Amino acid sequence: MTDFKPSILAFCCNWCSYAGADLAGVSRLQMPPNVHVIRVMCSASVKPEYVIKAVTQGIDGVLVLGCHIGDCHYLTGNHRTAKRIPLLQKILDEAGIDSRRIKLDWVSAAEGEKYQKVVTEFVEEIRRLGPNPLREVRF
Amino acid sequence: MNDPGKEISRLAFDERGADYLLAVREEYGNAGPAFVAKGEDVGDIRTDIPYQLVTILRKIYPYMEDGKIAVVIRRCEEKALNELIKRGIIDGDRIIRIGLACSEGQIEACRCTDPVPSCVDIGSPGKGWNEDQLSKELSAMSSEERLDFWVAQFRKCNKCYACSTNCPVCVCDHCVLEECTFVAEKGIPPGMAFHLIRAYHLSDKCTECGECERSCPAHIPLLTFRKMTNRDMKDLYGYESGDTETVSPLLTTLEGDLLEEEED
Amino acid sequence: MQRVGVFVCHCGHNIGSVVDVEKVVEYAKQLENVAVADHNLYSCSEEGLGSIKKSIRENKLDVVVVAACTPRTHEPLFRRACEQAGVNKYLFEFVNIREHCSWIHAKEKEAATEKAKRLIAMGVAKASLLTPQKEGEASVIPVAAVIGGGIAGLTAAASLVSQGIETHVIEKEARLGGLLNNISVIGPEFVETEPLIRRLKEDLERSPQAHIHLESRIVELGGFIGNFDIKIAEGAKTTDFKVGAIIVATGGRELEPTNVYGFGKIPTVITQMELEKRLAGGAAPSSAIFIQCVECRQPGREYCSRICCNVTLKNALRIIRSNPNARVTVLHRDIMSYGTTAERLYREASESGVSFMRYGLESPPKISEKEDGASVEVFDETLNENIGISGEIVVLATPIISQEGTAETAKLLKVPADKNGFFLEAHVKLRPVEFATDGVFICGSARWPSHVTECIAQGLAAAAKAAIPIRGGKVVIEAITAEVDVERCAACGNCVLACPYEAIEMTVIDGKRCAKVNEAQCKGCGTCVAACPNDAMQQKGFTTRQLGAMIDALIKNCKEEAVE
Ligand SMILES: Cc1cc2nc3c(=O)[nH]c(=O)nc-3n(C[C@H](O)[C@H](O)[C@H](O)COP(=O)(O)OP(=O)(O)OC[C@H]3O[C@@H](n4cnc5c(N)ncnc54)[C@H](O)[C@@H]3O)c2cc1C
Ligand code: SF4
Ligand code: SF4
Ligand code: SF4
Ligand code: FES
Repeated sequence: MTDFKPSILAFCCNWCSYAGADLAGVSRLQMPPNVHVIRVMCSASVKPEYVIKAVTQGIDGVLVLGCHIGDCHYLTGNHRTAKRIPLLQKILDEAGIDSRRIKLDWVSAAEGEKYQKVVTEFVEEIRRLGPNPLREVRF
Repeated sequence: MNDPGKEISRLAFDERGADYLLAVREEYGNAGPAFVAKGEDVGDIRTDIPYQLVTILRKIYPYMEDGKIAVVIRRCEEKALNELIKRGIIDGDRIIRIGLACSEGQIEACRCTDPVPSCVDIGSPGKGWNEDQLSKELSAMSSEERLDFWVAQFRKCNKCYACSTNCPVCVCDHCVLEECTFVAEKGIPPGMAFHLIRAYHLSDKCTECGECERSCPAHIPLLTFRKMTNRDMKDLYGYESGDTETVSPLLTTLEGDLLEEEED
Repeated sequence: MQRVGVFVCHCGHNIGSVVDVEKVVEYAKQLENVAVADHNLYSCSEEGLGSIKKSIRENKLDVVVVAACTPRTHEPLFRRACEQAGVNKYLFEFVNIREHCSWIHAKEKEAATEKAKRLIAMGVAKASLLTPQKEGEASVIPVAAVIGGGIAGLTAAASLVSQGIETHVIEKEARLGGLLNNISVIGPEFVETEPLIRRLKEDLERSPQAHIHLESRIVELGGFIGNFDIKIAEGAKTTDFKVGAIIVATGGRELEPTNVYGFGKIPTVITQMELEKRLAGGAAPSSAIFIQCVECRQPGREYCSRICCNVTLKNALRIIRSNPNARVTVLHRDIMSYGTTAERLYREASESGVSFMRYGLESPPKISEKEDGASVEVFDETLNENIGISGEIVVLATPIISQEGTAETAKLLKVPADKNGFFLEAHVKLRPVEFATDGVFICGSARWPSHVTECIAQGLAAAAKAAIPIRGGKVVIEAITAEVDVERCAACGNCVLACPYEAIEMTVIDGKRCAKVNEAQCKGCGTCVAACPNDAMQQKGFTTRQLGAMIDALIKNCKEEAVE
């Protein structure tokens, strides 16, 4: 288990969280190299289907990051995200997929440190949970 | 009321002014859907409806340019109809409802919690169930056990699409589950994603009619899974499918009640 | 099959000293669809761009992937290079291996190199599915609307009119001028208000291009940049007109204190605005105590309203100037006299005998009524003891708060406001005075409590920006919009309800009910895409197949790694 290298996907909205991730970089904030960012225009464009696709095929964790509520570049886009993801988490739990593998959080363009914290803590959490059991399951 | 067929026909055409009636009737020993125009012989109407008439209504509706259609509906079909009306797929003004209360046996088959239509024309109201035994057992399991259970169940899936074809509120003609944009496995069985995506898509529509479970040749307890996710939807947003008013919470804003942001 | 070119940047040492760029290039070469992979010391330099363009032509590339810094700053540059080399600028994909890799994994060279490979594999997977896009164009109605006739709005309107642009000013009150109507002298420069406002009003009244609507409010607003439909209620009648751009200048208002410092009970406790009125009438008190930061910079209203300290300095000096023996005390929590003129004002005030005393949030001054005014007890933080002072009046410096009706204005215009009710511009540094909604601009105290000079500067800036589409006559429409696959659409209506911009409607095409996106109204957020159950709705440049391919690339990688 010591050499478990989690594979983690992060969806970051262009306006806040992607910019926050950029700021973390500019500030040279160090964090574990397991998180792979997909840039989307708004967290509200993250289809729950993407998350399902990723976790059912062995991705160990998925982060969905957007602007804080009220700051979404598209007004109320992220309100939808804030509703879809918790439901998705419950559905995954019902199926026995630990919903802690999915995390929704808000990171503003000014929160490089928060980005670092979210990434670091999430990687820690995924390490604690261990590899996604669905990595091994063959249908 | 010894001949429900006569009563249904009377209600539809004489009392409520329908031009057509959609019901189930027996012909040559088989029960099948019947679409009868006013003035035609309604035949041997049955009330032990073996599928969702609303599914059939939805499929023929685009071809019916005018006229009022009477449909025999149970509570679940009434809810499905409401969902379709809410989405503008069916014009509610063109539908005449003839309420049918489910029999004890039917209620049991669906572990149905809500079996009585808002207007009962045929049959007598039965008592709903309180809970689904299997959901209860699954909820008590550990996450690993639950995953094992569902993996074993979903491995039986033939990818026959009976569940979605027979679902009254599954409205798409082209289904994403038939492609590999999200469902990775091209073969059979289709894997977890197939069932999870369906669960997510149905979370704000499913009426717990149980048709998916009944039509599944692999006997996957799909209704139980639906009941579990419907309960989640209710716990999270107080939403229950089945009326013409409430917009799915997945499409609306938070309206003041913000998601608790973690303090840090 | 697409011919993809991958260009990995060293960014000098920034990437090159952590990520093994050569190794990454070798890896990229064997990825599916990759025709050529190369590296540059600085891809964004003239030389780097030149070599990319050369490679595009020589290798007949269809799609370009650059693995370097962040698309947020450099995407336009590389897109232009693609265009110059004959590749549609939307056939370009950016992979961030600096901010998201080398800079944050500086000590893990090997892991960073592996991650860079995975990120590039994901980028190539998406790039292989990119399709060219065309930016649309729409014509612009050469008319502007300014909401609010305070100093900011009047300045903007006068500027537009002077550029020959027909402009509607929509003011809810019966007179123009806003907050300045009750402020006779403007600090810190001590400028007379009346001639300033009069000149602006005259400019507008004289011009046939200006339409001033008093006692008016917008009741309906539709459309998008270049083509807004406005309906206003003007007194009892309603008027409709069309405009190409809108400037929001609805200002703010002074907070009326609630039950603090005896306000409302002790008649000599007044607001700053009341003092303005009295001073304008020529009545200066013989002694005054100003209390700063009343009901702001405290839990519940954290922000600093910025202007109140300077207003106090101005009024303290006006009192002293008219009566050099007046006793003036300022109880403050910090003095915000930013700018050289204001700093000079502060010095002048201290030198002419205004005493400044600092109090803490935990120990606010206590006020009691006195026969000839009020007395104040305050804990002086410097002396570390309670001090009693008295004055003919006590002036409460309360913050500027958001205009009433801001929420409705925000909703009508589909623009955001922050938690304090001030409007949020698209980006403070990159796109000041613009809203994210194209064609709508913001200036003055509606944006944030501002001084008159700032209101004027912002009014001019907003007018300049609003004039761009109007003078240009055409606007480019964002290519990253949503589009519906009519064949697939099930007409479920999810997208219609989910779109934050109401950009989607149900229509009938060839007898089939389906959703339709109004491209000029769509902002390309993709909210509808996620709401669509059957993938009929797609966001150009971010299709579900493209993002799906990125996920697949990562899955493939993680499976391979598990095998290793
Ligand atoms: C007591 C006091 C003293 C001040 N002293 C100074 C000073 O000495 N020096 C200085 O630089 N600054 C000073 N300021 C600040 C300055 O006066 C304001 O920031 C500035 O006047 C704001 O101008 P504005 O055009 O943005 O907004 P406003 O002056 O508030 O004008 C907004 C206008 O929009 C109208 N409006 C609002 N909503 C709508 C709507 N929905 N539809 C139509 N119309 C609408 C309002 O009726 C108003 O006329 C002072 C402020 C106060 C409160
Ligand atoms: S129970 Fe099954 S068939 Fe019935 S509405 Fe729900 S998902 Fe559809
Ligand atoms: S992309 Fe966003 S703005 Fe455009 S139609 Fe979809 S939801 Fe509306
Ligand atoms: S959500 Fe999709 S299927 Fe439903 S109306 Fe919109 S485009 Fe059509
Ligand atoms: S743009 Fe960041 S969440 Fe919508």
